[in-house]
Amino acid sequence: MPLVGLRQPLVREGERAHKTRSHRTARWLSLAFLGILAAIVAACSGAAANHPGFEPGYGPSGPGPGFFPLQPVSQQGQYIFDFYPVIFWIAVAVFILVEGLLIWIVLRYRRRPTDTELPNQTHGHGGLEIVWTLIPAIVVTALFAFTVDTLGKVETANTSTDNPALTIDVTGFQWQWTFEYKAQGIKLTGVGREGPTMALPVGEKVRIRLHGLDVDVIHSFYVPQFLYKKDVIPGRVNEFDVIVQQAGTYAGQCAEFCGLGHADMHFTVVAMTRADFDGWVAQQQQPEPSQEPPPSGAPSVSVTSVGIVEGFNPTELSVAADTPWSVSLTNSDPVVPHNFSIRGANADGTDWIGQPNADGGGSAVYRPPPLAAGDYSFFCSLHTNMIGTLRVGQ
Amino acid sequence: MATTTVTHPGAIAYRGRRSWLYEWLTTTDHKKIGAMYIFTSFLFFIAGGVMALFIRTELAAPGVQFVDPETYNQLFTIHGTTMIFLFVMPMNVGLANYIVPLQIGAADMAFPRINALSFWMIPLGGLLLFSGYAVGGAANAGWTGYVPLSAQGGAGLDLWLMSLVLLGMSSVLGAINFIATIFKLRAPGLTLLRMPLFVWNTLVTSVLLLFAIPVITAGLMMLFIDRNYGGGFFDPALGGNPVLWQHVFWFFGHPEVYILILPAFGIVTEILPVFSRKPLFGYKAFVFATASIGALGFTVWAHHMFTTGAVYLPFFSFFTFLIAVPTGIKFFNWLATLWRGQLRFSTPLLYALGFISLFLIGGLDGAFLAVVPFDFHVQDTYWVVSHLHYVLVAGAVFGIFAGLFYWFPKMTGRMLSERLGKWQFVLLFVGTNLTFFPQHLLGLRGMIRRIIDYAPNPGWVELNLLSTIGAFMIAASVVPFMWNVFTTLRGPRNAPDDPWEGNTLEWATTSPPPPYNFDSLPPIRSERPLFDLRHGLTGHGPAAAAPRLTAGDDTNRGEAAQ
Amino acid sequence: MTAEARAMGMAHAESDGHAVPSSQGINTALLGMLLFIGSEVMFFAGLFGAYFNARAAALAQGQAWPPPGLENVIEPGIVPVLATTVLIASSFTMQYALRRIGKGDRTGMNRALAVTLIMGLTFLGMQAFDYYELLVDHGFGINSGIYGTLFFTMTGFHGAHVFGGVVGITIILLRGLAGQFSGRHHVAVEAVSAYWHFVDVVWIFLFATLYFLK
Repeated sequence: MPLVGLRQPLVREGERAHKTRSHRTARWLSLAFLGILAAIVAACSGAAANHPGFEPGYGPSGPGPGFFPLQPVSQQGQYIFDFYPVIFWIAVAVFILVEGLLIWIVLRYRRRPTDTELPNQTHGHGGLEIVWTLIPAIVVTALFAFTVDTLGKVETANTSTDNPALTIDVTGFQWQWTFEYKAQGIKLTGVGREGPTMALPVGEKVRIRLHGLDVDVIHSFYVPQFLYKKDVIPGRVNEFDVIVQQAGTYAGQCAEFCGLGHADMHFTVVAMTRADFDGWVAQQQQPEPSQEPPPSGAPSVSVTSVGIVEGFNPTELSVAADTPWSVSLTNSDPVVPHNFSIRGANADGTDWIGQPNADGGGSAVYRPPPLAAGDYSFFCSLHTNMIGTLRVGQ
Repeated sequence: MATTTVTHPGAIAYRGRRSWLYEWLTTTDHKKIGAMYIFTSFLFFIAGGVMALFIRTELAAPGVQFVDPETYNQLFTIHGTTMIFLFVMPMNVGLANYIVPLQIGAADMAFPRINALSFWMIPLGGLLLFSGYAVGGAANAGWTGYVPLSAQGGAGLDLWLMSLVLLGMSSVLGAINFIATIFKLRAPGLTLLRMPLFVWNTLVTSVLLLFAIPVITAGLMMLFIDRNYGGGFFDPALGGNPVLWQHVFWFFGHPEVYILILPAFGIVTEILPVFSRKPLFGYKAFVFATASIGALGFTVWAHHMFTTGAVYLPFFSFFTFLIAVPTGIKFFNWLATLWRGQLRFSTPLLYALGFISLFLIGGLDGAFLAVVPFDFHVQDTYWVVSHLHYVLVAGAVFGIFAGLFYWFPKMTGRMLSERLGKWQFVLLFVGTNLTFFPQHLLGLRGMIRRIIDYAPNPGWVELNLLSTIGAFMIAASVVPFMWNVFTTLRGPRNAPDDPWEGNTLEWATTSPPPPYNFDSLPPIRSERPLFDLRHGLTGHGPAAAAPRLTAGDDTNRGEAAQ
Repeated sequence: MTAEARAMGMAHAESDGHAVPSSQGINTALLGMLLFIGSEVMFFAGLFGAYFNARAAALAQGQAWPPPGLENVIEPGIVPVLATTVLIASSFTMQYALRRIGKGDRTGMNRALAVTLIMGLTFLGMQAFDYYELLVDHGFGINSGIYGTLFFTMTGFHGAHVFGGVVGITIILLRGLAGQFSGRHHVAVEAVSAYWHFVDVVWIFLFATLYFLK
């Protein structure tokens, strides 16, 4: 019986004849591709410089060694970091085994012109199959046991018996954070992309309680250097304990997609000695210096913040140029805070941010600096899609 | 019944009064429907890929350079939805539609008209999805559409969920069709344990679709009611629970990822034996592993929700780890199939090997994620993006290209260029790794996902740039493929019935097959009927147990002695 | 087939070129309907899942379920109980219709189908009346918090499925009146009958959950 094997996959007729043309095509494509690359690199080197709001180094400081997570700064994170090599090296071993076998197969079992007979037609091997079922089963069971053990050490808020030294209530909303230290009577809401700063004492158990707003969306409280995050869910209070072991400044960010401002919802955690922390608390407890009343006769502009989607009402305001003035903001949004800010209104050209925020259903009076004649854009710094036009001087 | 020699079966295909357009619009032939699925899904692949390029271009460097946040959010939402529901799923169904009836020796699917209906729902669903752009903005809440964010958006979100309901219906009807076809239309002798693994994988995928899609349909209806009729399913102010959406979504969503990958498993399992000239190692183990993965797929959904604080963590961690076992069985059985074979490195085998080498990475990533405390760190970071793209691009897409190269001769009667195929493979292999491997490191270093902009933290900028370059390489790899298909289709129809020395029934007819599929079928005595035919039923296993064929033997009347 | 295969003596094929549906086992169209019913079961499973999730969450947080003020809105009063009886009885008449045609009795089948159809429509009418009472007399609607949303969504989708069944029964009734069924060929009646029983079973679970368990 004639062997029907040893036939090479069909090569199309005229394949050789096309070589020159497809070579040229390939060359054009490669050039185009490199051109695109060059364009990207050029664009990037220019754009990397002007990145307002972020200083170099803002963010998690320093990676772990190579393919390892960030160096943790909390006790809970340390448990995770200590477990990581177990799963990592098992994965590396499996990777080397399988890829190694593949490479061996590719090199050793290529069909040669001398291979005229069929290879041995092995359908299976019961013993071998049992072995490579059992070994992975044992490995994953062991990994699972380690997982449960580490999990018990990391998630202690529901099971621990000793009280935390400090409790901080965190509210995440579109697109800002509020940190409330109820026992100390402190409440901080962030401004702009950087968000608020959470101070806490090193070496003590801190309980973080996470709150969402009913009208809002899911967010997530993530500090990469804790190797930990937990979701902020409307209608539910999540909490976790953390013991920061190293003083320093750590970046945090919302880690659950929450809409337009998701990329800008940052915050900072600063861990300090107990003495420094007490000092910080005392400072925060100072009452806000009261605003001096506007000089009589200064023009006052009124505007209402309606909501994240609806924006401001009206969207066009006007005021005289070069005169002290004030803005009276009524926040008719029942729950979400807003403020009144002006792009580029500061003397150095940066945005002027109106503070404090007007709470949901509340109001605030702002005293922006006198402005030169021209058109300005006003906005809510918490929700930068809420915008309007401020005409000065006409 | 004597076999008559016919001229090329295409010559007796129906010709005549009907126009080409009418023919394609009204066909119920599974081969034409399969071809339409393949063509349509490839168009959506391009669309989704272009969106990915926009995303990666924006992320190449810190700063917001090319698009605004609203556009960006729409981009990654529509990219994900398109790639999953309009590319991978229809492409899988298209290949299965064409090949499964052939592999079981049937003339068509069990319900040909429903088959056509299932197809036409795809372009309609795509139209619905993309029409969001015409009504003030496409959906922008991610392909996972978490509430309450997805309750906020405009009309684009309603169109998104309507399109998913429609596409889901298409999938369920298709699933019913495949299950009925596979159980009822197999040729005599083709027992369940002789079916090609591609058919087994299609069967298990269909069962998953049947049980998972209706759940997301229910969820989408709930979302629609909340968005438009003041419903309180997910609104805490009305007594609802946002986490309920995640439960409903992922109860579908996790089986969904097995729906996306099982056909690729099936294709790879078809290709390895053919191109190593050995039988599949451990056929029954493959069947068992496929069924286990399907069943276990329904038990792990909440591993997407570890950080909600609302799930029982140990249960889901355990089952997530457990799913690694049947997957591991497959890997070792694949390697054992290749072991001591005689490998022919045609493009289909290259893609199958590429699949094995890279899906491994995606699978191991998943094992990391089963470690709940580690998930606390990397959930919603680029680690997850890396994992999902390894299993979907290095997994499903490689499997799809393997299948396309393997079955292209059967479907079109022409051989694709091996040289262009290898160019494409190299570009795609390198590009995939360059795009997605750096993302592991980004995730470990805390870069979250679904953000238009990131701080220039140590190492982040370079890794993002590398990833973007890789994305353009992947895009470049599509060019040789399209050129390959275009020039091949213009060439002569000269592929033989069985260019690869295949084992299964689709190679027992012409390339392409006649409308009725088979003039006659070879005897089916094992899972490799064509192999048995070629080699006179020698070999081990079920074939060896078959009765010797002699004249006068009742079971094989008239068969010539071997 | 390859030329070699033909040469080797494919003079006789196992079958005559392609497979036809196996004459053994379940009818293909009926199998299709059963699979479809399987998918619909999962659809309702999703809705029931939402119900039990909401209920469990409320009870776990120490809240009342049904929510305060709504304890007595959904009661197994005369209308719902009657509707339930009608629907359960209609499953019996449907099954009777199937038995009749199984014996070749077309007239008997048609009569039983007509009765089933009327009962199905009666059920829908009673549901509509129930809805009217809830909406108008109690002000209880789909937007009355999670409890209202769940009630109307679950019963509403069930009603839609009953309507689908009514359409199916109408079709086989018309076909039956046109004489299209016989003792040996009545797959459509089997399929619609299976669907109708499914709709009934779902209602039993709904009734028990929404009206009794609460």
